Amino acid sequence: MRPYELTLTAAADAIRAGRLSPVELVDSVLERVERLEPHLNAYATVTAERARLAAREAADDAAAGRLRGPLHGIPMGLKDLIDVAGVATAAGSRVRADHRAQADSAVAARLGASGAILAGKTHTHEFAYGLITPQTHNAWDTGRVAGGSSGGSAVAVAAGTATFALGTDTGGSIRVPAALNGVVGLKPTYGLVPRHGVTSLSWSLDHVGPLTRTVEDQALVLAVLAGHDPRDPASLAGPARDYRPGASEDLTGLRVGVPRNYYFERVDAQVEAAVRRAIDGLEALGARLVEVEIPMTRYIQATHWGLMVPEATAYHERTLRAAPELYQADVRTLLEAGELMPAGDYLRAQRSRTLMRREWARMLQDVDLIAAPTVPATAVKADEEVITWPDGTVEAVSEAYVRLSAPANVTGVPSLSVPVGHDTAGLPIGMQLLGRPLGESVLLRAGHVYERTRPARELAPVV
Amino acid sequence: MSTAGLTPEEAARWADRAGLPLPPDRRTAVAAAAQHIHSVVAVLRELDFGDTPPASVYRAGEEEHDAAV
Repeated sequence: MRPYELTLTAAADAIRAGRLSPVELVDSVLERVERLEPHLNAYATVTAERARLAAREAADDAAAGRLRGPLHGIPMGLKDLIDVAGVATAAGSRVRADHRAQADSAVAARLGASGAILAGKTHTHEFAYGLITPQTHNAWDTGRVAGGSSGGSAVAVAAGTATFALGTDTGGSIRVPAALNGVVGLKPTYGLVPRHGVTSLSWSLDHVGPLTRTVEDQALVLAVLAGHDPRDPASLAGPARDYRPGASEDLTGLRVGVPRNYYFERVDAQVEAAVRRAIDGLEALGARLVEVEIPMTRYIQATHWGLMVPEATAYHERTLRAAPELYQADVRTLLEAGELMPAGDYLRAQRSRTLMRREWARMLQDVDLIAAPTVPATAVKADEEVITWPDGTVEAVSEAYVRLSAPANVTGVPSLSVPVGHDTAGLPIGMQLLGRPLGESVLLRAGHVYERTRPARELAPVV
Repeated sequence: MSTAGLTPEEAARWADRAGLPLPPDRRTAVAAAAQHIHSVVAVLRELDFGDTPPASVYRAGEEEHDAAV
C-alpha cells in the first residue's frame, strides 16, 4: 500500500511506530496532488515547499523520539476560509485576491500543535455561499459537481490528495460534499469547535469540522479540534474528551430513530434504498429502531434562510458596496437581496430556532440518535440546475442538497455523514447520524461499528 | 414587503433605504431573489411565539462561556 492510500489512523500509527517517515507520507501525497489536480482542482493553493520543510522537521523529531501530538507528520487540506498565518485565505473569491492571513485560526493552531502539516488550502464555493463548489470536480465522476461548499476538502480526501481535511458547515457544507464524494464528514455540536480565524457565512449557523476517510479518523481529529476558545463567543466550555470509538463490536441497546416524515420525502429511490439498508444494518448490530416524528418541518427552510440570509449580507456589507463586481453572479445577487429582508423576519427566525431546538430536545429524549439520508440525491452533472422529483415538483439543486442537512445547523445538534454505498452509476450515497448536543461519541461509535461491517473503503478511481 | 411580487423599482428603493444603491441592470435579478427569499421566510408569520425569546444570546461579562446548545 502506498502512503497516500493510508487512512489517517493507519498513517499516524505507522509514523508513531517508526514504520513510516513523515517525509515519505508527505512526498507521496504531494505526488498524488501533482498527478490528480489537473483532473480535480480540489486545491486553491498547494503549499508544497512549506509542507516538505515541515515533513523533514517532523521526520527528525520522530527519529529523536519527539512526537508533537497525535497528528504528527500527517498532511492535511484546510478549506480556504480557514486562516493559516502567511497564507492567503482567498475564500474562493476575487474579493480576497491580495489577502494574507496574519495569524493562525484557532483550529489551524491546534492542528499545527498536534503535528499536522498543511498540504494546501482547498476550494470553497465563494465565501461558502453555495452547495456546488464550481471550481472543483467530483472525485468519482469529473463531469459531476463536487458539492459544497467544502467541495475541495471532500474531493481531496476522497482522492487521497489529503490524508484528512477541514471544512465548514452552515447548512450542510461539510456533509453534502462528504456524501457526494464518499467520505466521512462531521458537523459537530454548535460551539464545540472554535471558529476564531475562520471566515464567517452566518454566525448563528457556522460550524467547523473534519472530513476523513473513516469514522475512526474523525475521532482523532475531533479530539484535537474540540475545546473552548474565548475568542469565539459561541464556544462551549467543557473538558477535553477522548472520542475514539473503542473496541465494541455491536450496538446492543442503542435506540436509533427512523424519521417517518421529512427525511425520506422527495428522496431518490436508490438513495432511500441504500440508507434503509444501512439502517437495517444498524438493527442487525443490535440497535433498536424507533419511529420518530420530526417536528416543525414546515419551518426548517424558513428558519435557516431567515438566519443565514441577513447575517451573510451583514458580513459583506462593506465590500458589497466597495467592489460588488468582484463577487460571482449567484453570490452577489443573494447578498444584495439580503439587504431587503426586514429585521422582523430575522427575529422570527431566531424565535423559531428557540422553538425548534426545544422540540428536537424533546424528540431526542426517546432515541440516542436519528439515522437519515444526508442528501436526497447523488452528485448531479455540472450543468444541471434543478432536480425533477417523481411527484412532478421541481427543486433547485442547491435547495435539494441543503434540505436534509440544514436542520442540524438550525438546532445545533451534531451530525455525522457516513458512506453507505453507491448508486447504479457508481456515485456515492451518504447516511447522516444526528445526535443530542455534545453526543458526538455516540455518533462516532455507531458509525464506526457500522463501518467495520463494510468492505474497506477505497479511494475514488479518479483516472 | 407585501406578498405580491416585488417590482425591480421597489427593490431598488428598498435597497437604497438600506444604503445599497442598486444599478438598473441589477434590479430585476435582485427583485426576483428577494421575492423568493420572502416567500420562504414568510411562513414564520404563522407561528404564535408567545413569550419565546430569540435564540441569539448575550452574556455580560467575559468569564461566562457555558452556553447551552
